[in-house]
Amino acid sequence: MHSPVAAFAWEFRQRHRWGLIAIVVYLIVLAAIKLVILAHDFPIDFDSAETFAFVFVLPVSSYFTYFIAVFTFGLDGDITARQSMYPARMFTRPVSSAALAWWPMFFGAVASVILWTATRLLALWPSSIVVPVVWPGFLAVVLLAWAQALTWMPYGLSGVRVIAVILWLTAIDIIVILAIHFRASESLMIAFLLPQIPLAYLVARYAVARARRGDVPDWSGAFTWFARIAGVSRLRRDFPSAARAQAWFEWRLSGKSLPVWVAIILPFDLLLFWVAGTSTLLVIELLIGVLLIPIIIATFAAATVSKPSVDVSDSYGLPPFMATRPLTNAQLIAAKLKTTLASTALTWLLIIVAVPIALEWSGEMPLVVDRSHRFAQTVGTPRAVVFLLLVVAAFIASTWKQLVQTLYIGLTGRAWLIKGSIFVTLTLLFLIGPVAEWIIDTQRLGRLWSALPLIFTLLVCVKMSAAVWVATRLYRNRLLTDRVLVAGAACWCVAVFALYGVLVWMLDTPHIPHYLLLLLAILAIPLTRLSAAPLALAWNRHR
Amino acid sequence: MSEPVIDVSGLTRRFGDNTALDSVSVAMPRGAVYGLVGANGAGKTTLIKHILGLLRAQSGSVRVFGLDPVADPVAVLSRIGYLSEENDLPGWMRVDELIRYSRAFYPAWDDVYAEGLRQSFALDPDAKIKTLSKGQKARAGLLIALAHRPELLVLDEPSSGLDPIVRRDILGAVIRTIADEGRTVLFSSHLLGEVEQVADHVTMINRGKILLSAALETIREMHRVDGRVLSLDEIFVARVGTSAAAAEV
Repeated sequence: MHSPVAAFAWEFRQRHRWGLIAIVVYLIVLAAIKLVILAHDFPIDFDSAETFAFVFVLPVSSYFTYFIAVFTFGLDGDITARQSMYPARMFTRPVSSAALAWWPMFFGAVASVILWTATRLLALWPSSIVVPVVWPGFLAVVLLAWAQALTWMPYGLSGVRVIAVILWLTAIDIIVILAIHFRASESLMIAFLLPQIPLAYLVARYAVARARRGDVPDWSGAFTWFARIAGVSRLRRDFPSAARAQAWFEWRLSGKSLPVWVAIILPFDLLLFWVAGTSTLLVIELLIGVLLIPIIIATFAAATVSKPSVDVSDSYGLPPFMATRPLTNAQLIAAKLKTTLASTALTWLLIIVAVPIALEWSGEMPLVVDRSHRFAQTVGTPRAVVFLLLVVAAFIASTWKQLVQTLYIGLTGRAWLIKGSIFVTLTLLFLIGPVAEWIIDTQRLGRLWSALPLIFTLLVCVKMSAAVWVATRLYRNRLLTDRVLVAGAACWCVAVFALYGVLVWMLDTPHIPHYLLLLLAILAIPLTRLSAAPLALAWNRHR
Repeated sequence: MSEPVIDVSGLTRRFGDNTALDSVSVAMPRGAVYGLVGANGAGKTTLIKHILGLLRAQSGSVRVFGLDPVADPVAVLSRIGYLSEENDLPGWMRVDELIRYSRAFYPAWDDVYAEGLRQSFALDPDAKIKTLSKGQKARAGLLIALAHRPELLVLDEPSSGLDPIVRRDILGAVIRTIADEGRTVLFSSHLLGEVEQVADHVTMINRGKILLSAALETIREMHRVDGRVLSLDEIFVARVGTSAAAAEV
């Protein structure tokens, strides 16, 4: 190795050789399929949407996600941290910041172009699709380059990176989808994408230079007003108990994330009420969109709940300071759960106060009131009121559920498990689209509806088996006493039957059998993943 | 004889192919200063992590105050003061917040003693931990380890990489703690001269095995050469081997 370029290339190749081998194997399989089918006219229909989705869309999307993880150094760093994700160990290399930014971008771009070109040549494309030649390759390079620039940038608040990356990449995607919809020419697409590559490089170079000199902004000062409202201003009192002290610690560590992010995003969404006009449908859609914000943000804020420290960017394990607190694992989890409840309550208080004000000021309130009255007349006032309360409760409960349901993974402190679960989730997200399209296109909705009882029964069996396994482990490892376990199980049963009762009352129709509603209630109320959190923490704390 | 504060028996720990602790057995009775010495990677921190319950014994047993620190963390940890080598205090806390937060966990917290330590360590209560120097962070960590007057004080490489003034502070604090009757100190270091100054009892560990564990005076008596008492450095080199000691200590 005689040059920095060779050192960069060697590191990527050496660390990710198995992933790269898997991609080469996939391309060989693609080539083999093409040659075999072309040569022997094999009776497999590669023209169908589902075959195309599983043979091309899913693997290529997964590999591109993998490329983003590899070439942004996302497998090393913490995407929610304020610090740059560019590995600090590389800052001491005797090369310029421009080179530090350039070589990973260059290798990422080359890998993406090779992946696209190879699949363009080797994949069997459905005859209904006109496959462009050049611009998808540029799109891959642009998306990767922006992902690199935005992940290497230091930010002033934890979690802002996640929002910045998602918003920016989604914006590019939307423009591209619109361009495809309006049948933009290949030259126009290239003209749109090509200039972004040097622009992304300049941003990346600036980000790396900033991170290299340790320049991490701190915007928390801008939210001191919010901190005062939330009662998290400087501590000047003594704690009556260790549990209260730990709850304060958790609040300072992660409790603010969700309300702060929602407070930042909410005004922009509420502004849309002013442009909605007199379209009731649009106003209702916007309202649902606003109510979904906390749930969506909670999905990302969940990472901060299970994170043990904000001071180390790539820390997953429990630091000794936390691990040596004289508290049981259950008490440590209880502090986290209390914090998430407070965080959810504060966030929804914000929504419940801000939304009516925005509707009133924008003049859209009468539309919503009128729609509500019509709904009440149709289904009856009691049902309408309960439905409304149930919807709000479901939104609030979903927000809390999003915050806590991945604790059992995050608290293990195992980077391979945490990053693996992110990878699996992203892959499943890529799958949802093609699978949904396949179900709709192939008229399988009826069959899916018929199979729903079986699917729900299987899921309930899996959930209850897992719950029994977790409860046994919790008891054997003395993480929870038998009394707590029995009380927890009783509370869960009460919640399930309460939800079942409401569902039966609300959906009183012969088309939906009651046992299906019971299965739905069992699946909806959190149990296994939540109760596995103390096990995960114990696995992390006592390695 | 009273029950030992720390009783480790046949403790073995492997990380993959590497054996970090190999059938380690050690008992530490109450009321003395124990120096745990060894080269970097000898197994000192691994042993301390087992004592704190941060590592689960793969084979053998660990008892602290007669209890299993993994099964009963609250009962064990509430009686231990611990200063970590990693100095991982939350950077976002202010010094006075750290003190108020820590005192909630220990019913025996001594406010007067804590304030005395804060003043003698010259820690600004308004300063954020992340703005403190390495030495000041070590002092803050030592303050919260000492202020509840723990029955067992565990110091893992407390003075590693610190300047002589901070090291003197730490040693001074250790000596003051010893003065409190009935308290025990476990003190790991690869700075053998430092251990020699304060330890009553020394345990030498190398490649996961206990080489020597005895009272400091006994060790000195055992290692007289031509009537001259060898220093702990010389004894360590003699026991471990010149090359390993020179390279690692």
